[in-house]
Amino acid sequence: MLKLLCLVPFLPLTGFLILTCSEGRLPRAYVPWIGAGSVGLSAALATSLAFELMTLEPDTRVFRQTLWHWMAAGDFGVDFAFYLDALSLNMLLVVTGIGFLIHVYSAGYMADDPGMARFFAYMNLFVFAMLILVLADNLPLLYLGWEGVGLCSYLLIGFWYEKPENGYAARKAFVVTRVGDTAMALGLFLLFSQLGTLDIQEAMSRAGAQWPAGSTLATAAALLLLGGAVGKSAQLPLQVWLPDAMAGPTPISALIHAATMVTAGVYLIARTHALFTLAPEVQTLVAVIGAITLLISGFSALTQTDIKRVLAYSTISQIGYMFLALGVGAWSAAIFHLTTHAFFKALLFLGAGAVILSLHHEQDIFRMGGLRRSLPLVFWTFLAGLAALVGLPFTSGYYSKHEILLTAYGAGSAGSWLWAAGTAGAVLTGLYSTRLLLIAFFGPERTPAHRHYGSNIAAPLVVLAILSLAGGLAKLPLFPALPETGTDQAGGSPSLLTTAAPFLGVAIGYLVYRTGTASAEALLKLPGSEALRRLWFSGWGMDWLYDRLFVLPFVVLARLNEADAIDQPYRGIVALTRLGHRLLVPTQTGQLRRYAAGMLFGAVLILAVGVWA
Amino acid sequence: MTADALTALLPFIVLSAAAVAVMLAIAIRRSFRLVFWLTVGGLLAGLSTLPHASPVAPLQVTDLLRIDAYGLFFHALFLLSALVVALLCLAYFRRRENENEEIFVLLLTSTLGALLLVSSAHLAMFFLGLEVLTISLFPMIAYSVRASRPLEAGIKYLLLSGLASSFLMFGMALVYGDLGVLSFEQIGAHGAELEQKPLALAGLFLILAAIGFKLSLVPFHLWTPDVYQGAPAPVTAFLATVSKASVFALLLRFFTAAHAERSETFLCVLGLLAVVSILAGNLLALLQVSLKRLLAYSSIAHMGYLLTGFVAAGLLRRDLQTETIAFYLAAYTVTSLAAFGAISALSDDDRESDRLSDYAGLFWRSPWLAAVLTLSLLSLAGIPLTVGFVGKFYVFAVGVQAETWPLVATVVIGSGIGIYYYLRVVLTMIQPAGVGQRVTLHPAAGTALAAAALVILAAGLFPQPLIDAAANVPQPPPTADSP
Repeated sequence: MLKLLCLVPFLPLTGFLILTCSEGRLPRAYVPWIGAGSVGLSAALATSLAFELMTLEPDTRVFRQTLWHWMAAGDFGVDFAFYLDALSLNMLLVVTGIGFLIHVYSAGYMADDPGMARFFAYMNLFVFAMLILVLADNLPLLYLGWEGVGLCSYLLIGFWYEKPENGYAARKAFVVTRVGDTAMALGLFLLFSQLGTLDIQEAMSRAGAQWPAGSTLATAAALLLLGGAVGKSAQLPLQVWLPDAMAGPTPISALIHAATMVTAGVYLIARTHALFTLAPEVQTLVAVIGAITLLISGFSALTQTDIKRVLAYSTISQIGYMFLALGVGAWSAAIFHLTTHAFFKALLFLGAGAVILSLHHEQDIFRMGGLRRSLPLVFWTFLAGLAALVGLPFTSGYYSKHEILLTAYGAGSAGSWLWAAGTAGAVLTGLYSTRLLLIAFFGPERTPAHRHYGSNIAAPLVVLAILSLAGGLAKLPLFPALPETGTDQAGGSPSLLTTAAPFLGVAIGYLVYRTGTASAEALLKLPGSEALRRLWFSGWGMDWLYDRLFVLPFVVLARLNEADAIDQPYRGIVALTRLGHRLLVPTQTGQLRRYAAGMLFGAVLILAVGVWA
Repeated sequence: MTADALTALLPFIVLSAAAVAVMLAIAIRRSFRLVFWLTVGGLLAGLSTLPHASPVAPLQVTDLLRIDAYGLFFHALFLLSALVVALLCLAYFRRRENENEEIFVLLLTSTLGALLLVSSAHLAMFFLGLEVLTISLFPMIAYSVRASRPLEAGIKYLLLSGLASSFLMFGMALVYGDLGVLSFEQIGAHGAELEQKPLALAGLFLILAAIGFKLSLVPFHLWTPDVYQGAPAPVTAFLATVSKASVFALLLRFFTAAHAERSETFLCVLGLLAVVSILAGNLLALLQVSLKRLLAYSSIAHMGYLLTGFVAAGLLRRDLQTETIAFYLAAYTVTSLAAFGAISALSDDDRESDRLSDYAGLFWRSPWLAAVLTLSLLSLAGIPLTVGFVGKFYVFAVGVQAETWPLVATVVIGSGIGIYYYLRVVLTMIQPAGVGQRVTLHPAAGTALAAAALVILAAGLFPQPLIDAAANVPQPPPTADSP
């Protein structure tokens, strides 16, 4: 039964091939069935595999499947092989399960789009690549999936390519993540050259045996992999691409830019956790990056007016929590938060999509309002998602976030600082969530909403709402794929404060945006606050900074070298050969007497050189 | 004359008989088809005699001929090439206004001349073989007498060949005058003292000049583009392959036998000819708009490459020299047959497809023909997975091993320029300009092209059998070893 594992990624690939090869000639009605059906079958298969694997003894919950030898050169060999343990199973379920729900939703959301077949083809290809990523037994295969999801992300962000700004956003996402990918590729080269293997498990055990903790090589390798992770997971300093990536269709934002692809960095670090344990400084850096990212993007989310950009900054912030968890060694808590976040953030994006659809592609929250009455189903499910995002007790987000923060508190000397940052982030989360809810769903109706969705949109929302609320109970035991977190979770007042923080945020939000006790307009009149708002709104000016630091010098250099200096020698060669051609052509007169004279000349030359030389 | 000698001579006898039979058949009744089949039968019969001749080799038959494995290798190559040319002729001449049957007689006699040439062991046979080959070629080149171009080409080739033959004759006379002998073997006996005999040395260089004309080495190359362009395409194919390869095979045999191939001055002169041939050939081909002229210049360059291999391998080992030359000649022959065969197959009844613009969009009109032409051009350029790559690899390998750096550098430069003009043709074929109508490929030409393309590809992918065949060609041995 476990042998069917290879079908899980190849079913979506088949869907992709069918949709691509039919070149849009397939009847429109069949397209969603193929697109969503292939992923649905994968999800069903993954579920049954999960039952089978989890009934095994914890120590034997590993399954390896080698399909074929991918390449071999000397002692460098790569197999096309899958590796299934509790960690990859967790990812497998998230990718296929959430993926299936979003595919179903897309059938409704994209129903009127002329490029529906292309859309589902890309989606299926994405699911295939993501499954390769999480199932890969070796680093090159993981890298194949890693680049594959990057490609699909590019294709889908720019799905509506007629608009130039969508193409720009797609290019930006591709180029920025490419920076991280380059670091990651270097990391893979380093691992291979030093450890002599590309097999992930083998490499991890060899690293543990060869490198002492804190050694330079371990640190360098971990740093390079971290570079790849921050690029893909949109963490500081490479987080700038994610807000712009919202240019893609909303189901894409839910699938790729909330639930699955952006968490690949978290998966990568969890997968190579043995390496990060060997490099404690880098691991601390992971935590610090997470803490800073969750705070700054929380502030940015506070000022956004586009519903999808609020959610995008919220995503960056929540992945920051996952990085924080990885950094303090709460491995399984990180993956747990990844899972619950996939539930509620997918739900929020899909809800936002339903709103956008009903308002005829209006995304500005200040032009919404009063949706509570016109879209009750969306309102209640959205509310459930926000509750989980904020981390209200007994929702799924509460369990995972609580675990992260309490583990952080107990983690060494920096622990209390990290905890403080995370808790402050929780206040911010409560605040911007409340702001979003109150502005968009309460108050007067500013744009008339026409309920514009059917059951294929409503059903995924309901399922995801249930998962967001109750998903915290279904935590997959990840040991021994990931080491147990120390039991030294702080109790007492930190625990109380952690639980209380979201309520504080919600309360402030309620006072500002509902009762008007303190108004945002009044706040903005304070000196310097308008500048601060603009700073936060622009994502801390990172785009501006990178523009000055990288883009501008590059453009200037390119301008300077417009007549490429390196081309000059080659142009010289061309000119020289053409000159030679022009000099020789006149010898070809077509006149017999000249030809005979030429032969005579040649004979004399040979004699001269040969006899008298 | 012993029975062995007669067995050894069988290829010549069969081919001569075939020529006579075809001639008589034409005299009785003109039937293009019958004559074609007779020719094919004669060539196949000639091929079938080779396994019988091979056990008695090596054998000296009279003073004139020497039948050995070296000669038999080239016999096989030339007979197969003539077979391909016969197929091309069938497709090309079948509907032309003229009396076209005699082309096959000429094809048989010129092939006979080529066979005689590579087996000759005597200056007299050398001359006879060369003249049989050349004189058959004159009418072949000028075969379409009603057109002006072939006639002009034929006359140019005739006159300049006469000049070259006079060089050859004069050179032979000088050698005879100084040494008093004519057979290669006896000339070889004087090998050591050649440097002290300026007259004989001058004679050898005059012979080299005549050979240089046949191989169209610079500066004896001027006729090449005009004649290549003027001759009917199948004849050009023959001229480029059998005629050149037989003369080159003789060059190796003669200069090895005469112990001249290790003389410094000889290698120096040959190296010089190689360098100027490569450079001039490639530069002249650079911006050509006529495909036949382009291939003519390319053949000049290729003879230069071959000469480079000859010189470099000569500095190393004799068997390596034979192996290199045999492989390169085989590779070049099959590649050129494919290239000129494609031109021949594409030619209409009244005009030839010669200008590059005739090939625009060929990929969309006749993908298979375009693929064959592309393959042969890539093979000429020496791109891997084609037989041309292995041939060029030989040239590079022996050049590097012998450390003849100026020659290697010239080959590199020449190959670089070569890629430009070969790919230019390929690019022209890809252009989406489908002006001409659909191309209909005659099955005979199709068979010939498919066979040539298959060999190019197969020997490029698995060169080992051909390498083995070339390596097993024994050096034409100098019977009298000089001190």
